[in-house]
Amino acid sequence: MEILNLLGLETPLFIFQIINFLIIAYILKRFAYKPIKAMLDERKRKIEQSLQDAQNAKIALENAGAERKKILGSAQADANAAILAAKTSAEETKEKLKNEAKKQSEQIIADAKQKAAMEFENLNKQVGQISADISGKIMSKVFENLFSEEDKQKILARALDKIEKAGYEKRAD
Amino acid sequence: MSIAPGVLFTIAGFPVTNTILATLLTDAAIITIVILLGKTISLRPGRLQNIFESVVEYFYNSVKDIAGQRASFIYPWVTSFFIFIVAANLIEFIPGFESVRFLPNNVLHEDGEHGFAFLRAATSDLNLTLALAVITVIASHYYSIKETGFKSYLSRFISLKMFPIMLFVGFLEFISELVKFVSFSFRLFGNIYAGDMLLEKTFYFVMPLEVFVGLIQALVFAMLTMAFMNILTEKHH
Repeated sequence: MEILNLLGLETPLFIFQIINFLIIAYILKRFAYKPIKAMLDERKRKIEQSLQDAQNAKIALENAGAERKKILGSAQADANAAILAAKTSAEETKEKLKNEAKKQSEQIIADAKQKAAMEFENLNKQVGQISADISGKIMSKVFENLFSEEDKQKILARALDKIEKAGYEKRAD
Repeated sequence: MSIAPGVLFTIAGFPVTNTILATLLTDAAIITIVILLGKTISLRPGRLQNIFESVVEYFYNSVKDIAGQRASFIYPWVTSFFIFIVAANLIEFIPGFESVRFLPNNVLHEDGEHGFAFLRAATSDLNLTLALAVITVIASHYYSIKETGFKSYLSRFISLKMFPIMLFVGFLEFISELVKFVSFSFRLFGNIYAGDMLLEKTFYFVMPLEVFVGLIQALVFAMLTMAFMNILTEKHH
């Protein structure tokens, strides 16, 4: 007991110090460590979340790049197909128009030929008629006094008949 | 300077000593810091929060490294011991500590000194250091029973395996637990009391050294608490 007194050990002081420290420890735990730990955990969570977001953003960016390339490739292919289709269509249209024009020109030529042939036939007919008339008149003048009226008519008819035949043969050629 | 703290006055028979006053001052400082911290705590820490976070995180990680999942109940004790002892050790460097004297009945002390210090470092009082040691040991044993079970806890001290060797080992374990009261309390008390004596005699020439001793002793107490709590809360084979 002597040594305890010498060291200043006293039960009230000792108990006071125990209670005092327990109160301080409780205050520290409740009002300091708990919020600080929560804050540290929250900060850690946010940092991890940020890192995860950055990683996701990187992946999304890479995906977007790949998607962009894909879309550009697809668009390029579509454009090439469209150009090819347009070229083919233009070629077809050109060919069609060319054929139609050729057909029309051939038709026009055929019509013209037919028309020319008809006109030629008409002309031949007219020429034959004129020739027959002229020949008749000439023959009438020449044989007016040489033959009787009956002979004249026979010769004239024969001659006209020959002229007409000759005219038909020529036209047939 | 006597080993026993000086009694300033008594309240209903309770002796209010100069170390009790220093303890209350330490409490006030800690509570003020905690209130300030609570008001300013945010995701973007200020200077005070940074310091507190560093201390808490350091002890939490240290405890987690050695105790794993048991860190959740060990680290608050360890950190509290460190903060309280650091505050109690460093508060004595406030001007007026030790130098402002108290003269009971306005008479000189029997050894010729002018009374005793009005404020004396709280940890230079064996009542406080022994109280801390008792809390450490009791808390360690409480968590030991809680974590390992009463049977495993008891087998640490009483075992009939390899009779009588393990029984003797158990007895030594028991003695070592008793010795903890002495080693914890006298280490801290001796270092701080000796530092106070040195400060008083050398007029604060050794102050930087004493600041260092104050920090080291707080760290030693906290680390030993951590080690003992970890050992006792592990399953005993």
